[in-house]
Amino acid sequence: MTMDTEKLIERLAEVVEPIRPLARPWIRMAAWFLVAIPYVALVVFVVSPRADLISKASEWRYVIEQLAALATGITAATAAFATVIPGYGRKFLFLPALPLAIWLGSLGDGCVEDWIHFGPDGLSLQPDWFCFPAIVLVGAVPAIAMAVMLRRGAPLTPHITAALGGLAAAGLGNFGLRLFHSQDASVMVLVWQVGTVFILAAMAAWAGQYLLNWRSIVGTARSRVLIR
Amino acid sequence: MAMKGQLDDHALATLMRAAQGGNTQAYVLLLKEITPRLRQIVRAQRRFLKIADIEDLVQDVLLSVHAVRATYDPRRPFMPWLMAITRHRLADAARRHTRRAAHEVQVGNVPVTFSDEGTNIDGDQYRDPEALRQAIMALSPGQRDAIEMLKLREMSLKEAAAASGTSIGALKVSVHRAMTALGRALRKKS
Repeated sequence: MTMDTEKLIERLAEVVEPIRPLARPWIRMAAWFLVAIPYVALVVFVVSPRADLISKASEWRYVIEQLAALATGITAATAAFATVIPGYGRKFLFLPALPLAIWLGSLGDGCVEDWIHFGPDGLSLQPDWFCFPAIVLVGAVPAIAMAVMLRRGAPLTPHITAALGGLAAAGLGNFGLRLFHSQDASVMVLVWQVGTVFILAAMAAWAGQYLLNWRSIVGTARSRVLIR
Repeated sequence: MAMKGQLDDHALATLMRAAQGGNTQAYVLLLKEITPRLRQIVRAQRRFLKIADIEDLVQDVLLSVHAVRATYDPRRPFMPWLMAITRHRLADAARRHTRRAAHEVQVGNVPVTFSDEGTNIDGDQYRDPEALRQAIMALSPGQRDAIEMLKLREMSLKEAAAASGTSIGALKVSVHRAMTALGRALRKKS
């Protein structure tokens, strides 16, 4: 469809309204975190925290893994918010790499230790289907808040942005899960919990094309120009 | 570096800040200032396109800039922001073109379509958005919704049916009638 660009500019100016610029990515992350963390706390409280939580807080491996999961969520959220700002450097994409490496490294180290102590039995896998729905439940509100906030940005890299958003919400979900689910065997955590986090991030990446696309936002702008 | 007669990045950033505050004049000035630059970029990167197609891409970028103007951070330079949007929109258009081309079947020139005037509207040309706007506003609410969802927002029939709660068949009828009415109204104006 071809129209006169000069007239389009006039129409755009006619419909322009004051708009508040989006805050910087880390500020938006903080706002998201403030919405997400009370919900995570509420779910943990309702489901009831694990009985050994206080003693677990003094176990360095548990603390490191929990802090790494939390940091993965926080950095992935910051990176996701940076990817919807045109002109932001791609280095932001690598923000979650370090906490994620620490998280996986700690779990990998736990697997090696279990194998040294217990032999092949230390790496035996049992079904733990509770993890997937539990992480979905804990990560639901963080995921919804993330989606709403990301849609206010520019859909420059829908799949990457949505994957990072999914990683943020699922990472927080896993952090919450381990506050009420007594499963600490490294291989079980790695397969069932971190596996769920990656599956959810992959699902989010796939959904990114529907959640974040130029077609809908430019279409809305076009209809405002022509109809309102 | 700005070329002679062009505003530099600082001036463009100042205009954008004012536009975010709702300043219409600043917004017009900004869009008029960036349009020739966008045209130049599109022409340089898509040499094979016709003038009308280049203009379509320029307008697409302008609409995108308008849609995501909240993402401009007033403390940051303006041109990298604009260039990132332009780059992505051009890539997006190229992907769209490739997808469309993959689904197109080449046929010989068909001299006539059908005798029904609705099928022979020169729907690709509208020079006056105001006339089109008025023609759309004159449609019945159902037809207007169908046009908005299917033609302006480019939703699929399935998406539009889900959003409006009507059937796909009813939407097809509405959009056909709306296109016929728009064609008639625009022809009358020209």
